[in-house]
Amino acid sequence: MKVFKIALGILAAIGGFVDIGDLVFNVAAGATFGYQLLWVVVVGVVGIIVYSEMCGRVAAVSGKAVFDAVRERVGFGAGLATLIAAQIVNLMTLAAEVGGVAICMRLLSGLPYRWLLLLAIVALAVVVWFVSFEWIERIFGYGGLCLLVFAVGAVKLHPDWGAVADGFLPSLNTEDPLLYCYFAVGLLGAAMTPYEVYFYSSGGIEDGWTLKDLGLNKANAVIGYGLGGFLSCALMITGGALFLEQGIEPEFLGTIALGAGTPLGQVGLLLALIGILFAVGGASIDTLFAGAYNLAQFLGWEWGRYRTNAGAPRFTLTWMVLLALAFGIVMTGIDPVMLTEYAVIFSVVALPLTYLPILLVANDRAYMGRYANGRLANVLGVVYFGVIMIVSLSAIPLLILTNAGQG
Amino acid sequence: MSEELDLALGVLDHQLLDCEGRRCGNVDDLAIEGGPGEEAKVVAILSGPGVWPGRAGLIGRIAAWIGGGGRVRIPWEEVAEVEAHVRLRKRAADYGLGRGDDRLRPWIERIPGANR
Repeated sequence: MKVFKIALGILAAIGGFVDIGDLVFNVAAGATFGYQLLWVVVVGVVGIIVYSEMCGRVAAVSGKAVFDAVRERVGFGAGLATLIAAQIVNLMTLAAEVGGVAICMRLLSGLPYRWLLLLAIVALAVVVWFVSFEWIERIFGYGGLCLLVFAVGAVKLHPDWGAVADGFLPSLNTEDPLLYCYFAVGLLGAAMTPYEVYFYSSGGIEDGWTLKDLGLNKANAVIGYGLGGFLSCALMITGGALFLEQGIEPEFLGTIALGAGTPLGQVGLLLALIGILFAVGGASIDTLFAGAYNLAQFLGWEWGRYRTNAGAPRFTLTWMVLLALAFGIVMTGIDPVMLTEYAVIFSVVALPLTYLPILLVANDRAYMGRYANGRLANVLGVVYFGVIMIVSLSAIPLLILTNAGQG
Repeated sequence: MSEELDLALGVLDHQLLDCEGRRCGNVDDLAIEGGPGEEAKVVAILSGPGVWPGRAGLIGRIAAWIGGGGRVRIPWEEVAEVEAHVRLRKRAADYGLGRGDDRLRPWIERIPGANR
Protein backbone atom coordinates (compact mmCIF):
# COMPACT_ATOMS: atom_id res chain seq x y z
CA MET A 1 0.00 0.00 0.00
CA LYS A 2 2.80 2.37 0.90
CA VAL A 3 4.68 1.61 -2.31
CA PHE A 4 1.47 2.27 -4.18
CA LYS A 5 1.06 5.64 -2.50
CA ILE A 6 4.64 6.59 -3.29
CA ALA A 7 4.16 5.56 -6.92
CA LEU A 8 1.04 7.71 -7.18
CA GLY A 9 2.90 10.69 -5.76
CA ILE A 10 5.77 10.24 -8.17
CA LEU A 11 3.46 9.99 -11.15
CA ALA A 12 1.78 13.23 -10.09
CA ALA A 13 5.17 14.90 -9.69
CA ILE A 14 6.27 13.92 -13.21
CA GLY A 15 3.13 15.35 -14.74
CA GLY A 16 3.31 18.36 -12.44
CA PHE A 17 6.88 19.31 -13.28
CA VAL A 18 6.37 20.45 -16.85
CA ASP A 19 4.54 23.75 -17.29
CA ILE A 20 4.23 26.35 -20.03
CA GLY A 21 7.69 27.73 -19.20
CA ASP A 22 9.34 24.33 -19.71
CA LEU A 23 7.39 23.74 -22.90
CA VAL A 24 8.35 27.09 -24.39
CA PHE A 25 12.01 27.20 -23.34
CA ASN A 26 12.91 23.55 -23.96
CA VAL A 27 11.42 23.36 -27.43
CA ALA A 28 12.71 26.83 -28.40
CA ALA A 29 16.20 25.96 -27.11
CA GLY A 30 16.13 22.76 -29.19
CA ALA A 31 14.93 24.65 -32.26
CA THR A 32 17.73 27.22 -31.86
CA PHE A 33 20.72 25.25 -30.54
CA GLY A 34 19.84 21.62 -31.23
CA TYR A 35 20.92 19.40 -28.36
CA GLN A 36 23.71 21.66 -27.09
CA LEU A 37 21.78 22.84 -24.02
CA LEU A 38 20.65 19.45 -22.69
CA TRP A 39 23.22 19.73 -19.90
CA VAL A 40 21.45 22.83 -18.59
CA VAL A 41 18.25 20.81 -18.12
CA VAL A 42 20.20 18.37 -15.93
CA VAL A 43 21.70 21.23 -13.89
CA GLY A 44 18.25 22.79 -13.42
CA VAL A 45 16.54 19.54 -12.47
CA VAL A 46 19.16 18.66 -9.87
CA GLY A 47 18.67 22.17 -8.45
CA ILE A 48 14.92 21.84 -8.10
CA ILE A 49 15.36 18.38 -6.57
CA VAL A 50 17.82 19.69 -3.97
CA TYR A 51 15.63 22.60 -2.90
CA SER A 52 12.29 20.78 -3.12
CA GLU A 53 13.61 17.96 -0.96
CA MET A 54 14.87 20.55 1.52
CA CYS A 55 11.63 22.50 1.80
CA GLY A 56 9.55 19.30 1.84
CA ARG A 57 11.68 18.09 4.75
CA VAL A 58 11.29 21.42 6.56
CA ALA A 59 7.51 21.21 6.08
CA ALA A 60 7.33 17.64 7.36
CA VAL A 61 9.56 18.23 10.40
CA SER A 62 8.59 21.75 11.53
CA GLY A 63 5.30 22.50 9.76
CA LYS A 64 6.84 25.62 8.22
CA ALA A 65 6.21 26.49 4.58
CA VAL A 66 8.48 28.65 2.43
CA PHE A 67 7.03 32.05 3.28
CA ASP A 68 7.02 31.26 7.00
CA ALA A 69 10.74 30.68 6.60
CA VAL A 70 11.23 33.80 4.47
CA ARG A 71 9.64 36.00 7.09
CA GLU A 72 11.42 34.45 10.04
CA ARG A 73 14.81 34.61 8.41
CA VAL A 74 14.95 37.86 6.46
CA GLY A 75 12.55 39.84 8.68
CA PHE A 76 9.49 41.89 7.89
CA GLY A 77 10.92 44.53 5.55
CA ALA A 78 13.04 42.37 3.24
CA GLY A 79 10.41 39.65 3.53
CA LEU A 80 7.72 42.05 2.32
CA ALA A 81 9.88 43.07 -0.63
CA THR A 82 10.42 39.37 -1.45
CA LEU A 83 6.68 38.78 -1.17
CA ILE A 84 5.83 41.60 -3.58
CA ALA A 85 8.40 40.41 -6.14
CA ALA A 86 7.21 36.81 -5.79
CA GLN A 87 3.56 37.78 -6.19
CA ILE A 88 4.18 39.84 -9.34
CA VAL A 89 6.14 37.04 -11.02
CA ASN A 90 3.63 34.49 -9.82
CA LEU A 91 0.70 36.44 -11.26
CA MET A 92 2.49 36.73 -14.62
CA THR A 93 3.08 32.98 -14.59
CA LEU A 94 -0.52 32.28 -13.62
CA ALA A 95 -1.82 34.46 -16.45
CA ALA A 96 0.51 32.73 -18.92
CA GLU A 97 -0.62 29.27 -17.78
CA VAL A 98 -4.30 30.22 -18.00
CA GLY A 99 -3.70 31.59 -21.49
CA GLY A 100 -2.02 28.28 -22.34
CA VAL A 101 -5.07 26.36 -21.15
CA ALA A 102 -7.32 28.44 -23.42
CA ILE A 103 -4.98 27.97 -26.40
CA CYS A 104 -5.07 24.19 -25.92
CA MET A 105 -8.84 24.27 -25.66
CA ARG A 106 -9.02 26.30 -28.87
CA LEU A 107 -6.78 23.85 -30.72
CA LEU A 108 -8.96 20.98 -29.50
CA SER A 109 -12.34 22.64 -30.13
CA GLY A 110 -11.91 25.47 -32.65
CA LEU A 111 -13.99 27.86 -30.51
CA PRO A 112 -12.98 31.54 -30.08
CA TYR A 113 -10.03 32.21 -27.73
CA ARG A 114 -11.65 34.81 -25.46
CA TRP A 115 -14.71 32.67 -24.75
CA LEU A 116 -12.42 29.78 -23.94
CA LEU A 117 -10.48 32.01 -21.57
CA LEU A 118 -13.69 32.65 -19.68
CA LEU A 119 -14.49 28.95 -19.73
CA ALA A 120 -10.98 28.10 -18.50
CA ILE A 121 -11.23 30.54 -15.60
CA VAL A 122 -14.65 29.24 -14.57
CA ALA A 123 -13.48 25.63 -14.86
CA LEU A 124 -10.40 26.31 -12.74
CA ALA A 125 -12.46 28.09 -10.08
CA VAL A 126 -14.97 25.23 -9.94
CA VAL A 127 -12.20 22.62 -9.66
CA VAL A 128 -10.39 24.51 -6.88
CA TRP A 129 -13.65 25.17 -5.02
CA PHE A 130 -15.06 21.63 -5.11
CA VAL A 131 -12.20 19.17 -5.58
CA SER A 132 -9.97 18.10 -2.69
CA PHE A 133 -6.26 18.86 -2.77
CA GLU A 134 -5.36 15.21 -3.18
CA TRP A 135 -7.57 14.78 -6.22
CA ILE A 136 -6.43 18.04 -7.80
CA GLU A 137 -2.86 16.73 -7.62
CA ARG A 138 -3.91 13.40 -9.11
CA ILE A 139 -6.17 14.59 -11.93
CA PHE A 140 -3.67 17.07 -13.34
CA GLY A 141 -0.59 15.01 -12.57
CA TYR A 142 -1.86 11.92 -14.33
CA GLY A 143 -3.36 13.89 -17.22
CA GLY A 144 0.03 15.55 -17.66
CA LEU A 145 1.58 12.11 -18.15
CA CYS A 146 0.18 12.22 -21.70
CA LEU A 147 3.24 14.40 -22.35
CA LEU A 148 5.24 11.15 -22.38
CA VAL A 149 4.12 11.03 -26.02
CA PHE A 150 6.95 13.53 -26.63
CA ALA A 151 9.47 10.94 -25.45
CA VAL A 152 8.09 8.40 -27.94
CA GLY A 153 8.02 11.10 -30.61
CA ALA A 154 11.62 12.10 -29.90
CA VAL A 155 12.78 8.50 -30.49
CA LYS A 156 10.70 8.21 -33.67
CA LEU A 157 12.29 11.36 -35.05
CA HIS A 158 15.59 9.43 -35.11
CA PRO A 159 17.82 12.13 -33.69
CA ASP A 160 21.58 11.82 -34.03
CA TRP A 161 22.12 10.09 -30.67
CA GLY A 162 25.83 10.91 -30.69
CA ALA A 163 24.96 14.60 -30.84
CA VAL A 164 22.34 14.11 -28.13
CA ALA A 165 24.96 12.51 -25.87
CA ASP A 166 27.38 15.38 -26.57
CA GLY A 167 24.65 17.80 -25.46
CA PHE A 168 24.90 16.52 -21.91
CA LEU A 169 28.46 17.86 -21.70
CA PRO A 170 28.76 21.65 -21.37
CA SER A 171 30.23 23.26 -24.46
CA LEU A 172 30.06 26.69 -26.02
CA ASN A 173 30.12 26.01 -29.72
CA THR A 174 28.10 28.81 -31.21
CA GLU A 175 28.41 32.12 -33.03
CA ASP A 176 25.98 33.74 -30.65
CA PRO A 177 27.16 33.15 -27.06
CA LEU A 178 24.77 35.78 -25.65
CA LEU A 179 21.73 34.02 -27.06
CA TYR A 180 23.14 30.72 -25.79
CA CYS A 181 23.44 32.21 -22.31
CA TYR A 182 19.95 33.68 -22.54
CA PHE A 183 18.51 30.24 -23.26
CA ALA A 184 20.63 28.66 -20.52
CA VAL A 185 19.24 31.16 -18.00
CA GLY A 186 15.71 30.61 -19.28
CA LEU A 187 16.04 26.83 -19.01
CA LEU A 188 17.34 27.08 -15.46
CA GLY A 189 14.54 29.49 -14.59
CA ALA A 190 11.92 27.22 -16.13
CA ALA A 191 13.23 24.19 -14.22
CA MET A 192 13.68 26.00 -10.91
CA THR A 193 10.61 28.29 -11.03
CA PRO A 194 9.97 29.60 -7.50
CA TYR A 195 6.28 28.70 -7.47
CA GLU A 196 7.30 25.04 -7.60
CA VAL A 197 8.92 25.23 -4.16
CA TYR A 198 6.14 27.41 -2.72
CA PHE A 199 3.62 24.86 -3.88
CA TYR A 200 5.71 21.84 -2.98
CA SER A 201 6.33 22.89 0.62
CA SER A 202 2.77 24.03 1.29
CA GLY A 203 1.51 20.93 -0.48
CA GLY A 204 3.46 18.82 2.02
CA ILE A 205 1.50 20.51 4.80
CA GLU A 206 -1.77 20.13 2.85
CA ASP A 207 -1.03 16.41 2.62
CA GLY A 208 -0.34 16.29 6.37
CA TRP A 209 3.29 15.20 6.05
CA THR A 210 5.06 14.16 9.23
CA LEU A 211 8.40 12.53 9.99
CA LYS A 212 7.02 9.30 8.53
CA ASP A 213 6.74 10.95 5.11
CA LEU A 214 10.38 11.96 4.75
CA GLY A 215 10.96 8.96 2.46
CA LEU A 216 7.96 9.93 0.37
CA ASN A 217 9.32 13.47 0.14
CA LYS A 218 12.68 12.22 -1.09
CA ALA A 219 11.10 9.85 -3.61
CA ASN A 220 8.76 12.53 -4.94
CA ALA A 221 11.54 15.04 -5.34
CA VAL A 222 14.23 12.79 -6.78
CA ILE A 223 12.24 10.39 -8.96
CA GLY A 224 9.27 12.62 -9.79
CA TYR A 225 11.26 15.71 -10.73
CA GLY A 226 14.00 13.53 -12.21
CA LEU A 227 11.56 11.97 -14.64
CA GLY A 228 10.03 15.41 -15.21
CA GLY A 229 13.51 16.44 -16.34
CA PHE A 230 13.53 13.45 -18.68
CA LEU A 231 10.38 14.90 -20.27
CA SER A 232 12.09 18.27 -20.61
CA CYS A 233 14.97 16.60 -22.43
CA ALA A 234 12.50 14.86 -24.75
CA LEU A 235 10.97 18.25 -25.57
CA MET A 236 14.36 19.72 -26.39
CA ILE A 237 15.33 16.73 -28.55
CA THR A 238 12.03 17.13 -30.40
CA GLY A 239 12.85 20.80 -30.95
CA GLY A 240 16.30 19.92 -32.22
CA ALA A 241 15.34 16.98 -34.43
CA LEU A 242 12.26 18.55 -35.98
CA PHE A 243 12.25 22.32 -35.84
CA LEU A 244 15.97 23.12 -36.11
CA GLU A 245 16.32 21.10 -39.29
CA GLN A 246 13.26 22.68 -40.86
CA GLY A 247 14.15 26.15 -39.66
CA ILE A 248 10.90 26.58 -37.71
CA GLU A 249 10.69 28.81 -34.66
CA PRO A 250 8.02 27.35 -32.39
CA GLU A 251 6.24 30.55 -31.43
CA PHE A 252 2.89 28.90 -30.74
CA LEU A 253 1.84 26.14 -28.37
CA GLY A 254 0.27 24.39 -31.34
CA THR A 255 3.67 24.20 -33.03
CA ILE A 256 5.05 22.49 -29.94
CA ALA A 257 2.26 19.89 -30.11
CA LEU A 258 3.30 19.20 -33.72
CA GLY A 259 6.55 17.91 -32.24
CA ALA A 260 4.59 14.78 -31.31
CA GLY A 261 2.08 15.02 -34.16
CA THR A 262 4.66 14.92 -36.94
CA PRO A 263 6.28 11.58 -36.01
CA LEU A 264 3.17 9.94 -34.52
CA GLY A 265 0.24 11.26 -36.52
CA GLN A 266 -3.13 12.37 -35.25
CA VAL A 267 -3.10 10.26 -32.09
CA GLY A 268 0.26 11.74 -31.16
CA LEU A 269 -1.02 15.25 -31.76
CA LEU A 270 -4.13 14.62 -29.68
CA LEU A 271 -2.18 13.10 -26.79
CA ALA A 272 0.27 15.99 -26.90
CA LEU A 273 -2.54 18.55 -26.73
CA ILE A 274 -4.27 16.72 -23.87
CA GLY A 275 -0.94 16.39 -22.06
CA ILE A 276 -0.23 20.11 -22.50
CA LEU A 277 -3.78 20.97 -21.39
CA PHE A 278 -3.45 19.02 -18.14
CA ALA A 279 0.15 20.07 -17.48
CA VAL A 280 -0.65 23.74 -18.01
CA GLY A 281 -4.00 23.46 -16.20
CA GLY A 282 -2.26 21.84 -13.23
CA ALA A 283 0.40 24.53 -13.27
CA SER A 284 -2.37 27.17 -13.27
CA ILE A 285 -3.71 25.72 -10.04
CA ASP A 286 -0.20 25.35 -8.57
CA THR A 287 0.59 29.01 -9.25
CA LEU A 288 -2.85 30.09 -8.07
CA PHE A 289 -2.41 28.29 -4.76
CA ALA A 290 1.22 29.42 -4.50
CA GLY A 291 0.12 33.07 -4.64
CA ALA A 292 -2.50 32.53 -1.95
CA TYR A 293 -0.11 30.47 0.23
CA ASN A 294 2.57 33.15 0.08
CA LEU A 295 0.32 36.02 1.15
CA ALA A 296 -1.41 34.01 3.87
CA GLN A 297 1.85 32.68 5.29
CA PHE A 298 3.52 36.06 5.28
CA LEU A 299 0.58 37.63 7.13
CA GLY A 300 -0.11 34.68 9.44
CA TRP A 301 -3.60 33.98 8.07
CA GLU A 302 -5.23 30.59 8.17
CA TRP A 303 -4.51 28.84 4.86
CA GLY A 304 -4.82 25.61 2.94
CA ARG A 305 -7.34 23.73 0.87
CA TYR A 306 -7.44 21.11 3.69
CA ARG A 307 -9.10 23.73 5.95
CA THR A 308 -12.12 23.94 3.55
CA ASN A 309 -13.03 27.11 1.66
CA ALA A 310 -14.83 28.74 4.59
CA GLY A 311 -12.24 27.48 7.06
CA ALA A 312 -9.59 29.77 5.55
CA PRO A 313 -11.64 32.74 4.30
CA ARG A 314 -8.87 35.22 3.42
CA PHE A 315 -6.90 32.48 1.69
CA THR A 316 -9.99 31.63 -0.36
CA LEU A 317 -10.63 35.27 -1.23
CA THR A 318 -6.97 35.67 -2.24
CA TRP A 319 -7.06 32.91 -4.83
CA MET A 320 -10.34 34.25 -6.18
CA VAL A 321 -8.83 37.71 -6.62
CA LEU A 322 -5.68 36.27 -8.21
CA LEU A 323 -7.76 34.29 -10.67
CA ALA A 324 -9.75 37.41 -11.57
CA LEU A 325 -6.53 39.42 -12.06
CA ALA A 326 -5.04 36.71 -14.27
CA PHE A 327 -8.23 36.71 -16.33
CA GLY A 328 -7.95 40.48 -16.77
CA ILE A 329 -4.33 40.18 -17.91
CA VAL A 330 -4.93 37.51 -20.57
CA MET A 331 -8.13 39.16 -21.78
CA THR A 332 -6.03 42.13 -22.93
CA GLY A 333 -4.92 39.80 -25.71
CA ILE A 334 -1.28 39.57 -24.56
CA ASP A 335 0.46 36.56 -26.11
CA PRO A 336 0.76 33.86 -23.40
CA VAL A 337 3.99 32.49 -24.89
CA MET A 338 5.64 35.91 -24.74
CA LEU A 339 4.28 36.43 -21.23
CA THR A 340 5.79 33.08 -20.28
CA GLU A 341 9.24 34.15 -21.44
CA TYR A 342 9.12 37.31 -19.37
CA ALA A 343 7.68 35.49 -16.35
CA VAL A 344 10.48 32.89 -16.43
CA ILE A 345 13.24 35.48 -16.79
CA PHE A 346 11.84 37.69 -14.02
CA SER A 347 11.31 34.69 -11.76
CA VAL A 348 15.05 34.00 -11.99
CA VAL A 349 15.64 37.41 -10.41
CA ALA A 350 13.39 36.49 -7.45
CA LEU A 351 15.09 33.10 -6.93
CA PRO A 352 17.85 33.97 -4.41
CA LEU A 353 15.49 35.49 -1.84
CA THR A 354 13.27 32.42 -2.08
CA TYR A 355 16.02 29.83 -1.81
CA LEU A 356 18.26 31.39 0.84
CA PRO A 357 15.68 31.19 3.68
CA ILE A 358 14.99 27.54 2.78
CA LEU A 359 18.69 26.75 3.01
CA LEU A 360 18.96 28.55 6.37
CA VAL A 361 15.93 26.92 7.98
CA ALA A 362 16.88 23.47 6.69
CA ASN A 363 20.17 23.96 8.55
CA ASP A 364 18.60 25.13 11.80
CA ARG A 365 18.99 22.35 14.34
CA ALA A 366 16.64 24.11 16.75
CA TYR A 367 13.72 23.06 14.54
CA MET A 368 15.19 20.37 12.38
CA GLY A 369 17.17 18.43 15.01
CA ARG A 370 18.75 15.40 13.40
CA TYR A 371 16.79 16.04 10.23
CA ALA A 372 18.80 19.18 9.48
CA ASN A 373 20.74 19.26 6.21
CA GLY A 374 23.49 16.67 5.88
CA ARG A 375 26.74 17.36 4.10
CA LEU A 376 25.45 16.42 0.64
CA ALA A 377 22.39 18.64 0.88
CA ASN A 378 24.52 21.53 2.12
CA VAL A 379 27.25 21.24 -0.49
CA LEU A 380 24.63 21.07 -3.25
CA GLY A 381 22.54 23.77 -1.59
CA VAL A 382 25.45 26.21 -1.40
CA VAL A 383 26.74 25.41 -4.91
CA TYR A 384 23.27 25.95 -6.32
CA PHE A 385 22.85 29.13 -4.39
CA GLY A 386 25.99 30.38 -6.14
CA VAL A 387 24.58 29.31 -9.52
CA ILE A 388 21.30 31.06 -8.73
CA MET A 389 23.09 34.29 -7.79
CA ILE A 390 25.03 34.37 -11.07
CA VAL A 391 21.96 33.52 -13.11
CA SER A 392 19.83 36.01 -11.23
CA LEU A 393 22.25 38.88 -11.82
CA SER A 394 22.65 38.11 -15.53
CA ALA A 395 18.98 37.44 -16.37
CA ILE A 396 17.78 40.99 -17.07
CA PRO A 397 20.94 42.13 -18.93
CA LEU A 398 20.65 39.03 -21.16
CA LEU A 399 16.95 39.70 -21.73
CA ILE A 400 17.78 43.20 -22.97
CA LEU A 401 20.92 42.29 -24.94
CA THR A 402 19.24 39.45 -26.84
CA ASN A 403 15.92 41.26 -27.26
CA ALA A 404 14.18 38.41 -25.38
CA GLY A 405 15.82 35.74 -27.50
CA GLN A 406 14.85 37.33 -30.81
CA GLY A 407 18.52 38.16 -31.54
CA MET B 1 8.05 30.59 30.08
CA SER B 2 11.13 31.93 31.75
CA GLU B 3 13.84 30.05 29.85
CA GLU B 4 16.22 31.98 27.67
CA LEU B 5 15.25 32.29 24.03
CA ASP B 6 16.87 33.83 21.00
CA LEU B 7 14.04 36.29 20.51
CA ALA B 8 15.05 37.65 17.13
CA LEU B 9 15.38 34.19 15.62
CA GLY B 10 13.05 32.07 17.71
CA VAL B 11 10.00 34.27 18.28
CA LEU B 12 9.90 37.40 16.13
CA ASP B 13 8.01 36.97 12.84
CA HIS B 14 6.80 33.51 13.82
CA GLN B 15 3.31 32.13 13.27
CA LEU B 16 0.81 32.49 16.12
CA LEU B 17 -1.43 29.51 16.81
CA ASP B 18 -4.36 29.60 19.20
CA CYS B 19 -5.25 26.78 21.61
CA GLU B 20 -7.18 25.02 18.84
CA GLY B 21 -4.28 25.15 16.39
CA ARG B 22 -5.79 27.92 14.31
CA ARG B 23 -3.33 30.22 12.52
CA CYS B 24 -4.17 33.68 13.84
CA GLY B 25 -1.47 36.16 12.88
CA ASN B 26 2.25 36.58 13.30
CA VAL B 27 4.52 37.92 16.02
CA ASP B 28 4.95 41.29 14.34
CA ASP B 29 6.88 42.84 17.22
CA LEU B 30 7.75 42.34 20.90
CA ALA B 31 7.27 44.73 23.81
CA ILE B 32 10.42 44.62 25.93
CA GLU B 33 10.83 46.30 29.31
CA GLY B 34 13.86 47.02 31.42
CA GLY B 35 15.97 50.16 31.71
CA PRO B 36 19.76 50.51 31.29
CA GLY B 37 21.57 48.06 33.54
CA GLU B 38 18.41 46.10 34.25
CA GLU B 39 17.55 42.72 32.83
CA ALA B 40 15.48 43.12 29.66
CA LYS B 41 12.25 41.17 29.72
CA VAL B 42 9.63 40.49 27.08
CA VAL B 43 6.24 41.57 28.41
CA ALA B 44 4.01 41.22 25.36
CA ILE B 45 3.62 40.12 21.75
CA LEU B 46 2.36 42.74 19.30
CA SER B 47 0.47 41.63 16.22
CA GLY B 48 -1.32 43.43 13.39
CA PRO B 49 -0.78 45.99 10.63
CA GLY B 50 -0.42 48.82 13.16
CA VAL B 51 2.99 47.42 14.08
CA TRP B 52 4.37 47.29 10.54
CA PRO B 53 5.43 50.95 10.09
CA GLY B 54 7.97 50.44 12.87
CA ARG B 55 9.32 47.37 11.12
CA ALA B 56 9.79 48.51 7.53
CA GLY B 57 9.63 52.27 7.03
CA LEU B 58 7.74 53.51 3.97
CA ILE B 59 6.87 50.08 2.58
CA GLY B 60 5.66 49.09 6.06
CA ARG B 61 3.51 52.24 6.31
CA ILE B 62 1.91 51.54 2.94
CA ALA B 63 1.23 47.92 3.94
CA ALA B 64 -0.20 49.06 7.29
CA TRP B 65 -2.46 51.56 5.51
CA ILE B 66 -3.77 48.81 3.22
CA GLY B 67 -4.16 46.46 6.18
CA GLY B 68 -6.20 48.96 8.21
CA GLY B 69 -3.66 49.70 10.94
CA GLY B 70 -5.12 47.63 13.77
CA ARG B 71 -2.91 46.01 16.38
CA VAL B 72 -3.31 43.53 19.20
CA ARG B 73 -1.23 43.25 22.37
CA ILE B 74 -0.95 39.80 23.91
CA PRO B 75 0.67 39.59 27.37
CA TRP B 76 3.62 37.18 27.41
CA GLU B 77 1.86 35.13 30.14
CA GLU B 78 -0.61 34.03 27.44
CA VAL B 79 2.13 32.17 25.57
CA ALA B 80 1.75 28.45 26.18
CA GLU B 81 4.64 27.19 24.11
CA VAL B 82 7.36 28.41 21.77
CA GLU B 83 8.36 25.77 19.26
CA ALA B 84 8.34 26.04 15.50
CA HIS B 85 5.27 28.23 16.04
CA VAL B 86 4.15 30.33 19.01
CA ARG B 87 1.16 28.72 20.68
CA LEU B 88 -1.29 30.75 22.81
CA ARG B 89 -3.36 29.60 25.77
CA LYS B 90 -6.79 30.73 24.64
CA ARG B 91 -8.83 31.00 21.44
CA ALA B 92 -7.93 33.59 18.81
CA ALA B 93 -11.19 35.51 19.30
CA ASP B 94 -10.39 35.96 23.02
CA TYR B 95 -7.42 38.12 22.02
CA GLY B 96 -9.08 39.83 19.07
CA LEU B 97 -6.87 37.88 16.67
CA GLY B 98 -8.00 36.45 13.33
CA ARG B 99 -10.80 39.00 13.04
CA GLY B 100 -10.31 39.44 9.29
CA ASP B 101 -11.04 35.75 8.72
CA ASP B 102 -14.03 35.84 11.08
CA ARG B 103 -15.56 38.86 9.33
CA LEU B 104 -15.11 37.37 5.86
CA ARG B 105 -16.33 33.86 6.71
CA PRO B 106 -20.11 34.55 6.54
CA TRP B 107 -19.68 35.92 3.00
CA ILE B 108 -17.71 32.90 1.83
CA GLU B 109 -20.27 30.60 3.46
CA ARG B 110 -23.01 31.99 1.22
CA ILE B 111 -21.45 30.22 -1.76
CA PRO B 112 -22.61 26.59 -2.12
CA GLY B 113 -19.88 24.09 -1.26
CA ALA B 114 -18.04 26.49 1.07
CA ASN B 115 -17.49 23.77 3.63
CA ARG B 116 -15.94 21.32 1.24
